[in-house]
Amino acid sequence: MVDGVPAVEAVGLVKRFGGLTAVDHVDLRVDVGEVYGILGPNGAGKTTFLRMLFGLIRPDAGTLRVFGRTWAEAGPTTLDGVAGFIESPRFYPYLSGRRNLMLLAGLDGGDADSHIDQVLDVVDLADRAGDKVGGYSFGMRQRLGVAASLLRDPQLLVLDEPANGLDPAGIRDMRALVTRLAGSGLTVLLSSHNMDEVEEICDNVTIMRTGRVAYHGSIDELRAQAPDPSHRLATSDDDHALRLSAEHHGVSVTAHHAGGLALRAQTADADGYLIALGRAGIAVRALHLEIAPLESLFFMLTETGSAAGSASGSATGSTSAGLRPRSHNVTGATP
Amino acid sequence: MTAPVTTTSTDGPAMVRPRPVGRGRVITAYRWEIAKLAAQARTRATLAVCLVAPFVFVVLLDRQDRLPKDTLYGRWVHASGFATPLLILGFAAQWVFPLLTCLVAGDIFASEDQHGTWKTILTRSHSRSQIFWAKTLAATTFATAVLTVLALSCLTAGVLLVGHQPLESLSGTLLPAGRAAGLVLAAWATALPPLLGFTALGIMISVLTRSSPAGIVGPIILGLLMQLYAFLNGADAIRHLLLVTPFDAWHGLLAAHPYYGPLRDGTLVSAGYLVLCLAVAFTALRRRDITGG
Repeated sequence: MVDGVPAVEAVGLVKRFGGLTAVDHVDLRVDVGEVYGILGPNGAGKTTFLRMLFGLIRPDAGTLRVFGRTWAEAGPTTLDGVAGFIESPRFYPYLSGRRNLMLLAGLDGGDADSHIDQVLDVVDLADRAGDKVGGYSFGMRQRLGVAASLLRDPQLLVLDEPANGLDPAGIRDMRALVTRLAGSGLTVLLSSHNMDEVEEICDNVTIMRTGRVAYHGSIDELRAQAPDPSHRLATSDDDHALRLSAEHHGVSVTAHHAGGLALRAQTADADGYLIALGRAGIAVRALHLEIAPLESLFFMLTETGSAAGSASGSATGSTSAGLRPRSHNVTGATP
Repeated sequence: MTAPVTTTSTDGPAMVRPRPVGRGRVITAYRWEIAKLAAQARTRATLAVCLVAPFVFVVLLDRQDRLPKDTLYGRWVHASGFATPLLILGFAAQWVFPLLTCLVAGDIFASEDQHGTWKTILTRSHSRSQIFWAKTLAATTFATAVLTVLALSCLTAGVLLVGHQPLESLSGTLLPAGRAAGLVLAAWATALPPLLGFTALGIMISVLTRSSPAGIVGPIILGLLMQLYAFLNGADAIRHLLLVTPFDAWHGLLAAHPYYGPLRDGTLVSAGYLVLCLAVAFTALRRRDITGG
């Protein structure tokens, strides 16, 4: 691997299935050490992109380089230094978790089998390693998938919806695991349809919609362009509260379609308005965050195809006309 | 989840661990497949049955008053221990050989479909071609192992439980023990080419149908249909092209004046099946959409 070569670089990538263009002229660059998210609703083209990255399908146009190598030039050696899974990881159910890892270590060659205990510890499966995988829960199989990936001692870890199908505790554990892996300096490419997950873990993000790039740039830049948070507000006197909002700059209050009021404002402005309500003798009976700002922007980008002006600097029609992901070197100590 | 995560730091240019290339990856994948087969109870049970069954067969036969006289070497099973492996060889050719080899060959590809593990394998720096040849090699290794274990077990069971009396050749001459033992092993060795033909047939059906039951049962049914055709005295040209015909090629070795024509023709026919079936399977696997599994 040559210094400065990106971990993943896609240029004008296209994949068609009959009349359907699943990936449509996608440009993307993941630098070494970066934690990168590919975000989009189901059918956006995320998994198709990852299938091309792993060489399971070939692009119809464009190039996709992994550590500077393409499948056409390097064949399966393209995946040296790369590990991960697409959709849910699958194993031989009649064998134990440990036995599955031993087999995969044998397929990887080298000294991969010497890491088995270590990776089982990392994913917290050491106690259940002797049990047959057929008896594992979905979350345990997901974690075993991460363990199987780590066996390859990867420089790039690719995870496709790792928290998909998990219960809340499983989601928490999986996010904590991915966060720790990302913190260890590993380059991580994470596909998800969950804005919270990507916001929590990733440095940079590409948002896809119907095969095209709707946005790419840093999470911080995305956050800056997000609309105000939306709350549902219930007071002792909604009419008075509505009239009072006109006196507060940066606060938008309207009647909520389900009763009460809809409040849109940045936190500081909302705080000022709520204090004013109290001073005016209006009791605040309920205040619920309805849509987080980034989630709201995500819906705008993926459902309407534009950020309605609020993300104009980085929302792109198809390619990399917007912001370029920055290089990050995450080398923090692991907990 | 508190254990430390050890991955290569990105402070400097990271180094990818060197892995085997080209043929080396086929060998790595072959070892992986052999380890997987060894971990399966079915594989171990099959080899154990091949080891023990001949002894049980000889004991049961020894307690019978009536001999299987209508079967080749059936009338001599009490006269010479070398007749036992030849009697079993004639019987095994009917459906036992196709069954034994296809327990692995018919399942080795389809099981990946069944468990959805194609993506698990192919995302670990191995191409479909490399996996195909590794699996094919593993299936032929198993077929050879089964034939070897069964042959040695049959010969040992016959000699230990019946004795090492001279064997009567198909021409009526008596063959001394040493010569008989050599010919028995040679006779079993002639079953290898058609056995590998059935292995390839099982692989092809396994790849095409993605179904283990079809991969295992399909070649047995085809073998029985071929037996039926041969039994009905169909056209001779077609009979020579059947994959079951080479199983009888050993008869030429047991004649007073050995003849090798059937052995040569049988080997060519078996090779034809092998090449054709593997070519179809290879092409199908290369073109297949495995994104769902």
